[in-house]
Amino acid sequence: MTIPGFILRNAFRNKRRLMLTLLSVTLSLFLFTMLQTALRELTQPAQTDESALRVVARHKVSLGNVLPVKHQSRIERIPGVHTCMKLTWFGGIYKDPKDFFPQFAVDADKITDIFSEAQFDPQEMAAFLKDRAACVVGIKTMDRFGWKIGDKITLQGTIWPCDPQLTIRAVYRGGIDETNLFFHHEYMDELCGKPSLCGTFWIRAENAEAIPGLIQRIDETFANTDAETKTETERAFVLEFVSMIGNVKVLIGSICSVIVFTMILVTASTMSMAIRERSREIAILKAIGYDGWQIFSLILAESFGLALTGGVLGCFGAWFGTWLMFQHVNIAAVSNGMFIKFEVTPHIVVSGMLIAVVLGLVSCLAPAYSSIRMSVVTGLKELD
Amino acid sequence: MNADPIVQIRDLTKLYRHGEIDVTALNCVSLDIAAGEFVALMGPSGSGKSTLLHIIAGVDRATSGQCIVQGTDVGTLNETELADWRNNHVGFVFQTFNLIPVLTAFENVELPLLLTSLSSSERRAHVEAALELVGLADRMRHLPRQLSGGQEQRVAIARALVTDPTLLVADEPTGNLDAHSAAEILALLQILNRTAGKTVILVTHDPKAAAYASRTLHLEKGELLNGSSQSSVVSSQ
Repeated sequence: MTIPGFILRNAFRNKRRLMLTLLSVTLSLFLFTMLQTALRELTQPAQTDESALRVVARHKVSLGNVLPVKHQSRIERIPGVHTCMKLTWFGGIYKDPKDFFPQFAVDADKITDIFSEAQFDPQEMAAFLKDRAACVVGIKTMDRFGWKIGDKITLQGTIWPCDPQLTIRAVYRGGIDETNLFFHHEYMDELCGKPSLCGTFWIRAENAEAIPGLIQRIDETFANTDAETKTETERAFVLEFVSMIGNVKVLIGSICSVIVFTMILVTASTMSMAIRERSREIAILKAIGYDGWQIFSLILAESFGLALTGGVLGCFGAWFGTWLMFQHVNIAAVSNGMFIKFEVTPHIVVSGMLIAVVLGLVSCLAPAYSSIRMSVVTGLKELD
Repeated sequence: MNADPIVQIRDLTKLYRHGEIDVTALNCVSLDIAAGEFVALMGPSGSGKSTLLHIIAGVDRATSGQCIVQGTDVGTLNETELADWRNNHVGFVFQTFNLIPVLTAFENVELPLLLTSLSSSERRAHVEAALELVGLADRMRHLPRQLSGGQEQRVAIARALVTDPTLLVADEPTGNLDAHSAAEILALLQILNRTAGKTVILVTHDPKAAAYASRTLHLEKGELLNGSSQSSVVSSQ
């Protein structure tokens, strides 16, 4: 027998309790990992070199207010602007509200320039540009509904009073989000009869260094007009969009804190019970020559073992689980477009494992300290 | 028998504090125990015999006085030194056996050796020798629950012996055993005393058990009674 073997025997002496505690730690850390991943997805949207060049101008009052399209030509003249594209959230219903996917009316001829990281087929895009009632759809949404090029779909307007009938002319792959549908802004203007309005302007800057000055110049250009703008980076824009559903960071942070605190209580309770049951044996170990710190090390190792096993199962389980889920489930479709990648990062796994380490230490401190302090005679008296 | 004292106790006093009241467990006890002696400590409950045994074995500390065991004043050692000293010099046998239930007889006996620098094969040799000595070589892989009370106590004696201590202390080792098993354990302690030269200190209520010792000391109200002296030595049965 070895000391690690002795620790293992002690850990497994009450298998049911061990399994239940392990399960609670595992599930808690699994939940923690998933929540942290969700938080990251919501608060740190993925960014590419191309997306870092994009800024978004919207109405200063709110996203719900529209801008006059006449702003576009003034923006295009501002130094540092490479391209400026109208982009309006259509938010229509395809067949049923649960079949949600993002739909935007855009300047069709500028889409490849603005979303340059996405891959478009030139022939398909040529067909898309020729047909005012055409649309280009992300591959994930194509796969989700089993669509193919040439299919006709109808979107029922909920914000805009029109129901565009669209023909799928092109598919795009790659980019940050493969679930979007883009169609001609002119077509929506024609159907809705409001040709002078749009939701936002998406602007591609000439280079990243130009962005701070560009943002300032755009907003200054429209200051004191009847439609002042608020311009921000794409990343900031997405985060602001997220903030509309509440202070997600605080909410998820609170849930995670409760999870960690509960986990510490559960594990500390288990370790206390396990050590309390063994107080006579601890006295015997001391009597035969084990000193307080050796006993402390045995208890600490057992507690660490429990917490780290739970950590590995929970954190890596979440990592593997999300990978497996991506093989079979379209997370963007399931989450109505809220989550695109839902990627458990090494940073999140390390955070979970650090919590497991802290858990292992904190949960055994009090009972281990008591066992160090307990005299052999006190322990022996408990026997008889 | 070597007549050099292995235990020298001078004016040993132990007070326990219960709330505001000090209870005297031992009052100015002085005695010598020679190396190779088999001493029985007798007395009524609360007489201080277990307290005296605990102080000699280094698991409790005296309030005043001196306890020198094998030339070491155990009262001057810190907790870590004391634990190490116990591992090297004292073997414990308890009334309730106190084996670790999840470990086999072999592993229970091996426990004190895990603190030493012995290799795995050396530990194995020591454990097998100890279990052989107590007649349990064929029960090495048994868990405590698979052993009888007498066998469990034999394993406990093997655990006490495995580090080859000079001093064996036994606190009511037959208190939980039937008469037959008790006689076997006492005989075993006697053999260890006589053939292996172990100094044995036995705490007991039972005059029959005390009869196995070469000397019986009587304690009452924390004091060693005059006339505690040589007792008849019972041959192993």
